[in-house]
Amino acid sequence: MDYEMEVTGTHIWYYYICHREVWMIVHQLAPDQEDDNIEIGRFLSEHTYQRNKKEVVIGNIKVDRIRKEGEQLIIGEVKKSSRYKQSARFQLLYYLDTLRNMGIQAKGELLFPEEKKKEILEWTAQDKEELDKAIGDIQRIARLPVPPSPKKISFCSNCAYREYCWAEGTE
Amino acid sequence: MKKTLYIFQSGELRRKNNSLYFETDGRKKYIPVEDIGDIYIFGEVDVSKKFLEFASQKGICLHYFNRYGYYMGTFYPREHLNAGHIILKQAEHYLDTTKRILLARSFITGALRQMCQVLKYYRGRLQKGKGEIEDILVQLQSEKETANERGESVEELMAFEGHAREKYYKAFDYILNHPDFVFEKRSRRPPLNRLNALISFGNSICYTMVLSEIYKTYLDPRIGYLHATNFRRFSLNLDVAEIFKPIMVDRLIFTLINKKMITKKDFDKHTDGILLSEEGRKKFIVELDNRMKTTVNHRHLGKSVSYRRLIRLEIYKIQKHILDEKIYEPYQSLW
Ligand code: SF4
Repeated sequence: MDYEMEVTGTHIWYYYICHREVWMIVHQLAPDQEDDNIEIGRFLSEHTYQRNKKEVVIGNIKVDRIRKEGEQLIIGEVKKSSRYKQSARFQLLYYLDTLRNMGIQAKGELLFPEEKKKEILEWTAQDKEELDKAIGDIQRIARLPVPPSPKKISFCSNCAYREYCWAEGTE
Repeated sequence: MKKTLYIFQSGELRRKNNSLYFETDGRKKYIPVEDIGDIYIFGEVDVSKKFLEFASQKGICLHYFNRYGYYMGTFYPREHLNAGHIILKQAEHYLDTTKRILLARSFITGALRQMCQVLKYYRGRLQKGKGEIEDILVQLQSEKETANERGESVEELMAFEGHAREKYYKAFDYILNHPDFVFEKRSRRPPLNRLNALISFGNSICYTMVLSEIYKTYLDPRIGYLHATNFRRFSLNLDVAEIFKPIMVDRLIFTLINKKMITKKDFDKHTDGILLSEEGRKKFIVELDNRMKTTVNHRHLGKSVSYRRLIRLEIYKIQKHILDEKIYEPYQSLW
């Protein structure tokens, strides 16, 4: 059997933004270290809240918050904006699914305190199917010998890979 | 964008806690380390081991020149970016002759295109010598075609490049038309006249600048394609510099001479050759540094980038080629 790369929350997050970026991260091609704009760590921390002492590590996942409502365990993921909601949803779903595999039934909540928004997320078979598809696709992307071609999206302007992706062509 | 530090004085580079300083005549000058990309050392500068460790940790390359302005070597910190996959691909493109020739040829045709661009730019501005430059352009054009069609080994390609460059340098006399700066013939160590001294000095700076940029990528500077790899010296930077020498160095030389920023007085005569004086080197560096900071519009990136940055982008393009992502197309300036 082929070695399957282990998919992480970061991969899932980027999967819903840019497949090329997933390939770069998987291949450990770090983005430009001097990029004036942003680099991954900084990006993530700007789009999530300062990960603080409340952070809980379970296996290989890190969750921002964890609390109990009666018997129900609720894990919370705090994000600064809902702009990349699809990314955030599936990242959280992935955490819920990981916990499920450990025998823990949990619910999730996405928190956007600056927008005063909150969204409850429950594990469903349908979402799980979609998640598995995404994971399979991430593994497929990881095995590609060359990265997917760059596509101009709004995210590019803040992406630390942009000089690499768009190196060609000058006026 | 990080800055380049040029040290002409003699003194000591030291580390103190988390900062760097340069000490000369008992005075300490602090260097904001986070801003520095690389350091050029022209003076007699002592460095401590602690300093080197710090430079290494911060990813700063140190380029050394001796007191005559000859490039001596680079302190290239241990690779901080390392991807096994890329090194393998880089070696594959070296070992596979077809792949190697393809890259070597791109460097040559890219360089020739840039040379033509420089000549075209000046052709329009000349009173005398238009026709001669036109002739040279035609010859370069045919040299480029030959390299494209017939260059079947790296040696052959190098020979085409050599011929072309000889012709290209002939044009310098028409462009400059200055009795103090005649080309005669290319002489390197030592340069036998002022123009050769300028070219040699400029080229060596160009090689090191490219080297500093390669350091910021995953490529290994020891594996070049046009310039033979011998695993001791850096060679990829020599390849890439071919593309930039005409616009970075040659055009700068024309400007410096035409605007009388550098004159006969800026050279020292040595027993066997002629070299830029310290004063001359400083003038050269100041102007070069300004030029490298100038920006040009970049269509794909949707922003302006400095010339220095263009070098980095060029190396990214080579990296993409090596990863089989996109065939390398050398940079071509349009002016
Ligand atoms: S610059 Fe654009 S295409 Fe490239 S990795 Fe970033 S988001 Fe993807």
